[in-house]
Amino acid sequence: MLRPFELSEPTSVAEASELLARHGDAARIYAGGTELILVMKEGLVHYEHLVNVKTIPGLAGVRLDAGTLRLGAATSHRARERDPLVRQHFPAVARMEADVANVRVREVGTLGGNLCFAEPHADPGTLLQVFDATARIEKKGSARTIPLEGLFVGPFETCLEGDELLTEIVVPPLPSRSAAAYLKFGFLERPSVGVAVAVTLDDGHVADARIAVGCVGPVPRRMREAEAELRGKPRTETGAALATAGRIAGRAADAITDLHGSAEYKEHLVGVLLRRAWDQALAAIDGSPRR
Amino acid sequence: MAADRLTVVGRAVPRLDARDKVTGAARYVSDLALPGLAHARVWRSPVPHARIIETLTERAAAAPGVLAVCAAADLPVKRLYFGPAYRDQPILAHEVIRYAGEPVVAVVADTERHAQAALALVDVRYEELPAATSAEQALAGNASLIHPEIERAGHFRDLSGLRPIPGTNVCQHYAYQRGDLAHALEDADLVVEGVYRYPALSHHALEPHCVVARVDGDGLTVWATTQHPFPVRRELADVFDLPLAAVQVVVPLIGGAFGGKCYTKTEPLAAALAARVRRPVRLALSMEENARTITRHAVSVVIKTAVTRDGTLLARECDVVLDTGAYADIGPRVATKAGYRAPGPYRIPTLRIDAKCVYTNNVPAGAYRGYGVPQVTWAGESQMDVIAERLGLDPLALRLKNLLKRGEEYVAGDTPIDGDLAEGLEQTARAVGWTAPLARGRGRGLACAMKDGGGTHSTSTAIVRINADGSVDVLAGSVEAGQGIRTALAQITAETLGVPFASVVVAAPDTSVTPYDWGTSASRSTTIMGLAVQEAARDAREQVLILAATLLDAEASMLTIRDGAIAHGDRAMTVAEVISGHYGLVGGEVTGVGSFVPGKSSGSLGGATVFWESGMGAAEVDVDRETGAIELLKYISAADVGQAINPRECAAQDEGAAMQGIGPALFEARVNDAGQLVNPGLIDYRVPAFTDLPPTLETVLIENADGPGPFGAKGVGESGTFCVAPAIGSALTQATGVRLTELPMTPERVWRALRDAERGSLPPTLK
Amino acid sequence: MKEIAMTVIVNGDKHDLTVPPHETLIECLRDRLGLLGVKKSCDVQVCGTCTVLLDDRPVSACTVLAFEARGRSVRTIEGLARGDDLHPVQEAFVEHGALQCGFCTPGMIMATVALINENPRPTADEVKHYMRGNICRCTGYKRILEAILDASRRMSGASAGNGR
Repeated sequence: MLRPFELSEPTSVAEASELLARHGDAARIYAGGTELILVMKEGLVHYEHLVNVKTIPGLAGVRLDAGTLRLGAATSHRARERDPLVRQHFPAVARMEADVANVRVREVGTLGGNLCFAEPHADPGTLLQVFDATARIEKKGSARTIPLEGLFVGPFETCLEGDELLTEIVVPPLPSRSAAAYLKFGFLERPSVGVAVAVTLDDGHVADARIAVGCVGPVPRRMREAEAELRGKPRTETGAALATAGRIAGRAADAITDLHGSAEYKEHLVGVLLRRAWDQALAAIDGSPRR
Repeated sequence: MAADRLTVVGRAVPRLDARDKVTGAARYVSDLALPGLAHARVWRSPVPHARIIETLTERAAAAPGVLAVCAAADLPVKRLYFGPAYRDQPILAHEVIRYAGEPVVAVVADTERHAQAALALVDVRYEELPAATSAEQALAGNASLIHPEIERAGHFRDLSGLRPIPGTNVCQHYAYQRGDLAHALEDADLVVEGVYRYPALSHHALEPHCVVARVDGDGLTVWATTQHPFPVRRELADVFDLPLAAVQVVVPLIGGAFGGKCYTKTEPLAAALAARVRRPVRLALSMEENARTITRHAVSVVIKTAVTRDGTLLARECDVVLDTGAYADIGPRVATKAGYRAPGPYRIPTLRIDAKCVYTNNVPAGAYRGYGVPQVTWAGESQMDVIAERLGLDPLALRLKNLLKRGEEYVAGDTPIDGDLAEGLEQTARAVGWTAPLARGRGRGLACAMKDGGGTHSTSTAIVRINADGSVDVLAGSVEAGQGIRTALAQITAETLGVPFASVVVAAPDTSVTPYDWGTSASRSTTIMGLAVQEAARDAREQVLILAATLLDAEASMLTIRDGAIAHGDRAMTVAEVISGHYGLVGGEVTGVGSFVPGKSSGSLGGATVFWESGMGAAEVDVDRETGAIELLKYISAADVGQAINPRECAAQDEGAAMQGIGPALFEARVNDAGQLVNPGLIDYRVPAFTDLPPTLETVLIENADGPGPFGAKGVGESGTFCVAPAIGSALTQATGVRLTELPMTPERVWRALRDAERGSLPPTLK
Repeated sequence: MKEIAMTVIVNGDKHDLTVPPHETLIECLRDRLGLLGVKKSCDVQVCGTCTVLLDDRPVSACTVLAFEARGRSVRTIEGLARGDDLHPVQEAFVEHGALQCGFCTPGMIMATVALINENPRPTADEVKHYMRGNICRCTGYKRILEAILDASRRMSGASAGNGR
């Protein structure tokens, strides 16, 4: 059962930021609550003060702005799963959102909540990184934008200062002749291994390869050394490079042995999912009209 | 009786409780509210083994709304220890903590929130002791005794002959031998040996345990999520030194059980707290607490089989070790049954069985659907396929060759086999397409198993009351946990009496009202309570016919009841008219009583088996060799039900049982780390979900009307769990060449086995 | 601690309540409003036993805070049948034997109503995906799947739109 707490319902980012600053460690942002309320119910943490960000206008919503997807931090997974703009222009994102947790969590849980709770066994943080997504972070009086990858510092730990809020995730479009794919291996309720790729082709060669791995290690991140293995290769000669990239990414992911599996197995799965996601992305490029 | 002459038995009539359950009107123990209800929460040990130094409860007692904070010494009980086999389990830990999760202190407050807040103020000082957190550790020579002394409970006849091994942690040792082992091993053309492991499981019925207890001038009333209201009544009577008549146990609908609600669990604690605070007390466990209260036995089986070249089984040796946790619960019986069932449904002249029920500092293990059979069948049936591979025989043919036939004895003195096992297995094989070509990379496997069903030395009594308006009340102590027993008993009653099904109501078990029943477990209720109900219905019917005979001026033997009425020549009277006619007013009733008393027989278990519950399973799988994930494409399950009282509910039970077998076969298991349950809740303990439903899941009901129950019925409900794991395991072997011996067959384990086979570090298992 | 005054429509009935922020929706529905058909089981949003509809969307009543229902409408299992007439999903569950102990049933039915509302003729795979978060320990899911597919057939035949 939840212990009592005070609830504030600010109507602006500045007000929210002020509340966070005032209450310090005793306060926490509350959006969907699908992670936060859970750990509070279990008695693992307690916050005397919850700051409801759903009452801040403009914090939720999906916008397409000259091809760039702007996702309000308080947008639910389901909104992104079902939004026609997301489905049409960022289909990998819509598909990833459709497979998060279960439908009830998706209805209530938000993107910002998911990213800021920084549970390692999660999906959005991994896929969005291959789009070079950025995070807009605001507090009273200022704002900054960082690459999404920089948000994650450790398990359940972000780079947010005590008085900062994540307000928006900005997802630039991939170049033409590109596609993204996200595959995860689920064994328990939460995903065990997640691999995202974004591939850009240019005249039969891999013009760009972006790889992110999540769920396996402490944080989801880009695997740049692995990406380098693939960049520039002819698309028909990526077999060996993919295997190498998979090994590099597996090792770089800092896999830990836990209930989901051994580090060794997870590293192996990274390689398997990388190759499969790659094939899926290529098939998507081939299947779509030339832009 | 021929099926076509039955009017309601054998029909898929809607469940009596269906409407209530789909409208939210169904009431479970956790829905019960009483005036003045107080709420209890429990402080549980964080460590698996410790000596309690002191319990500090003053701060908690002073917290808002708190009515009492109790350690063992504070409980107003005459007996602190309870248990169905040994009285070894204290209501609250006493001097020693024996498992992580064990209740040590209980808080009672006016609200649940107050109780929880006060719980955080409880402090227990303890000195940790070395813990034995596996059966192997507890059996080691230097292991300390978890129970230096234990007292037999004397509750059940079959447990009067308990055989612990003194000076060890073995609280029950079952051994059985027949034939000449040395000779058999000599004569054999092939001897195969293997070690198989089955994990501990959490029942995770969706309704966690809940008890509401009230003490008043008349005695004690307890509403409990229990499958065993009468044994619980007996236990409570002992704990409080009350006569049975002063203890009432009531069980409304319960939200699933699967054995986890067998025997006494949290009832004594709730009752003791109610006595202490003199208010009704509700003790509702969370799902995680449930997992720290009871578990399935983790089992290891060393099994050796001797066979001739043509596949004739000569001998089988089974050494079965069960981890029964810190308290025996019903472990001694599970161990005995596991040993008894280990050989499998085969003709085997020579046997050596040894089963040990071992105390450890883990969560107590008790009854769980299948009761030892899934664990030993994983070993025995896997080994049958190893034999088939080594001899180059078809696994189906090997089994058919050795399966016991109807009328053959399994063990001398026990009831002979009462079904056609070969028919069941052949139907199962046909349904999975055993001989059809198999797509590349896929595999098929099948298995068969049986248990002595119906419980040992159990009795049931029932009352059938025909009211003055012709409606019928059935008073039976069988608990409705979802299996559909109330509906089945109503069908049996309606059929036997000759009244419309819609006129029959089945009461909820209430030990003050419904007569004695041994319990709802062991697949016994349709058969044994069914026979009691049938006898009670016959008794009531005969009484009505005698009354009718007078009123109609006829011979009672010439009369029958059909559709609630008795016809004679051109006259007819309804049952209501008969009763009113007899009493001379619109009142009175006819009361029929019936009971089932077990026969006296010898046999290895000290009692004759009521019926053989047999199950068959066949699986077809595909395997993702890169990830090791097994994809179950088809699963066929066959259950011999004798006569399905309600065919839909029989099939539904079997499908559910199969799914409960799929879980531990592929992904479901408790993870125990040095006595700590790492995955108590559903986030980290995976139970089967919708996405685990294979494209084909079929149940075949075998109905030869050859059971001892009403209309030829046998019990059903457990056999679906027996064969899933070995069927899938052998399908995996056919598809990939690797065989796993430890469950669950997780993707990682399959991947490792494939990788090791590739590297040549495993001996090839396929010729 | 400041409590929150709110108006909520539950199964068509308007309620004016004052709730503390920490009260969960299931506590509000069961303990305040006596809607005992909403069952509590895993309490961690995995099992779906507590599924209710919040503005027609399926949510876990165990983890959604009660005040989040302010100004909105909630539908529980008690709000489905019309008097003695069962909702087609309820009927289908009964006919197909899609329930045994019944503890998951209210949540399972509410999730089904939400599914069919959103996707009137789901395929078996779509049903499995949507219902993945509703656990049943008794039935093995086969009959639930059949009931859902049957209900969706009946409902798309009988009426269009989101009425029920």
